Amino acid sequence: MKKTILILALVTATGSLFAQKKTTTSATVAFDASTAIDNLPKAENKTVIGVIDTKTGAVQFEANVKNFAFSNPTIQEHFNGERWFNSNTFPTFTFKGAIANPSAVNFAKDGSYTANVEGTLTIKGKDQPVKTPATFVVKGGNVTASANFTINLADYGISGAPIDGGKVAKEPKITVNAEFK
Amino acid sequence: MFKPPYMAETTKKKRPCWLKRLLIGILVVVLVLAGVYWYVSSEKFSDTKERKAAYTVSAIDFIREFQQSHAAANQKYTDKIITVNGTVSEVEAADTTVNLKFIDTTTGSYAIFAFQQQHLAEAKAIKPGDSVSVKGSCSGGIYSEILGVESISFKRCTLNK
Repeated sequence: MKKTILILALVTATGSLFAQKKTTTSATVAFDASTAIDNLPKAENKTVIGVIDTKTGAVQFEANVKNFAFSNPTIQEHFNGERWFNSNTFPTFTFKGAIANPSAVNFAKDGSYTANVEGTLTIKGKDQPVKTPATFVVKGGNVTASANFTINLADYGISGAPIDGGKVAKEPKITVNAEFK
Repeated sequence: MFKPPYMAETTKKKRPCWLKRLLIGILVVVLVLAGVYWYVSSEKFSDTKERKAAYTVSAIDFIREFQQSHAAANQKYTDKIITVNGTVSEVEAADTTVNLKFIDTTTGSYAIFAFQQQHLAEAKAIKPGDSVSVKGSCSGGIYSEILGVESISFKRCTLNK
């Protein structure tokens, strides 16, 4: 009986260690549209949902737009407003993609790997392709991923005087960090 | 050479009165705009600890309210300061800090709390199973297609003592 329980426990532990799909609900995404004349338009969302399929290399993220925390209340209001990201009508940013060269990452072996991630970023209901190098650190069955890229606000129908006047970057920097378990 | 006072007056150029008023008006407008800009750009979110909660709820009831009526719950709680009481289900690493989670184990739906910069240390001291009262700005709930559950997020959180 004791042997059976031990085997079952081992199988469960091994199963979770090598589970094909690993998730997180605490990925962080930083949005930085600051410029030389205004350092306010930047924020971080620390409750982004993500999943990675270590067998196929598929990667997906969902962010609650309203959970981007700015230091300045007026900038946060503008960010969520109709002319910017319109979070009342479009409450999530989503990314659906995959590792373009999955053989570059060995999820079964601890180590640090660099690979290209390609997919579709949906903001304000508009889909745009995104291609970025990403770093994957595999340690004890967990995967930590990080990536940096820029988006073009005009591609998502976002424009206006603050952007034209150089107070908000036309191409904000996006930084993603996720620890999948 | 002696000049009678009436002659001296005629040689002095006088700025018209309307021009003086216009310049003063422009100066006042510029000062007001600079003041408004300074106020807006230096404004910061206040410490959540000092803010009064619009609602105080129990974690599981709160999560179930979103599951029962997503739209109504979002209307009621989003962009408001809420105090949520409950037993911590998970403490999850988020980059260099941690988030607290309350999970409704019957459905998997959850509420998650990211802490305000000055209160990050409070979150790191919490362990799963701890009974806590957490206050933060509710960002509303979204239905996660990835997890198939309701996810309710909070930002700028702190613990009530």
